[in-house]
Amino acid sequence: MNYVRNPELIERLAAEYALGTLRGPARLRFARLARENAATARAVRAWENRLGPMSFAVREIRPHRRVWTAIQARLPAAGGAWDSLAFWRNLGLVASGCAAALLVAFVLRDPRFAPVPVEKIAAPSAQMQPAYVAVLSDKAGKVVLLAYADRHSDELWLKPNEMQSIDSAKQVFELWGLPTQPGGAPKSLGLIPTGDKRTIKLAAAADQALSDFPALAVSLEPAGGSKTGLPTGPVLYSGPCLKFW
Amino acid sequence: MADPAAQNEALKQLLAACARRDSAAFGRLYEATSPKLFGVAMRILRREDWAEEVLQDCYVNIWNHASKYSAALSAPMTWMTSIVRNRCLDWLRRPNLEVVIESDEDGGNLIDAQASEDPGPLDNLSRASEARALADCLARLEAKQRQAVMLAFFDGLSHSELAAHLREPLGTVKTWVRRGLMQLKGCLGTTA
Repeated sequence: MNYVRNPELIERLAAEYALGTLRGPARLRFARLARENAATARAVRAWENRLGPMSFAVREIRPHRRVWTAIQARLPAAGGAWDSLAFWRNLGLVASGCAAALLVAFVLRDPRFAPVPVEKIAAPSAQMQPAYVAVLSDKAGKVVLLAYADRHSDELWLKPNEMQSIDSAKQVFELWGLPTQPGGAPKSLGLIPTGDKRTIKLAAAADQALSDFPALAVSLEPAGGSKTGLPTGPVLYSGPCLKFW
Repeated sequence: MADPAAQNEALKQLLAACARRDSAAFGRLYEATSPKLFGVAMRILRREDWAEEVLQDCYVNIWNHASKYSAALSAPMTWMTSIVRNRCLDWLRRPNLEVVIESDEDGGNLIDAQASEDPGPLDNLSRASEARALADCLARLEAKQRQAVMLAFFDGLSHSELAAHLREPLGTVKTWVRRGLMQLKGCLGTTA
């Protein structure tokens, strides 16, 4: 059929395309035509502009923060992709009723928990060793992983609590530090071992290895971990990483 | 958000900044628009995992193609909504998917409040000043035409799904949709 010589047909198909009732191979053919033929593209745009305002009536649903994390991970590194400000602001607005998310939002907004220079960390008692503590939860807000490291040690202790089960021959949990500074990318802290010994050897003592990261996250990666240096699989768990004095 | 014209202008600026590879602007664009776009995708796909995947793809697309957006041709939300709607409809074309949709009607991933019978879209629509003309014209359609057009747009129903949902012959439903659309065009032409 010669669409282009039949403006009435084009008009009708453009309307049904924008409405969504044009389906299957006909939709694909028409989309191709719109890419190649300016008059068809104009007709589609006109109909999208006519019907588009209907979307105002759709109820807003704030997506889970993992969507933003995944989008960030998919942008080319040149894009400078980790806009932490928007990320954290977003984090503060996720599903009310999600206790862990609210805790994170609260903690991150509280100036007492703002990043402190390493040299200013001082414990209230000589018996207390200053440390880093992270609390990671799943999307429902259930705490699934605790992490702890003495500030002078490079050993990060992990205590899992009913993490999702995986096929360890094919998959692995990878732990990431999420940075605050714009343009910073998440940094791999290591793979979470299975079995009884649940520690990760950090690249340096916690004061160097963790102090830049206000939050940690766990993504599911193929065995051996992410090859790209950024999370490639779904981000399953995340939560704040705080200096315990 | 109180002033749609100001919001429109702000979104245009953000898209222009995205075209210049400003990732902070992209973060603000996401923050400002993702609840609406996710709502659109959820309404059509009815499954959170699918809607999340579509939303990811769409924002990666928006970032990659921000330089192709032309403020003279369409409003920012219309441009982005079209990207999301088209991706959702593509998603529904995947093989074997229709079976899943039907068998999943009462599944845990469905958001009941977003069901097709969700009332009040016209009320919501007439509150947004930009959409008032469209709301007025939709209100002038015959009830069955209006219902068919709105179900198709909001819920992404195909002609045959509309026919099943409305319990009417396919040909009848197709006619309602076609006439409804043409009357909308005539009506909007006079109010624009």
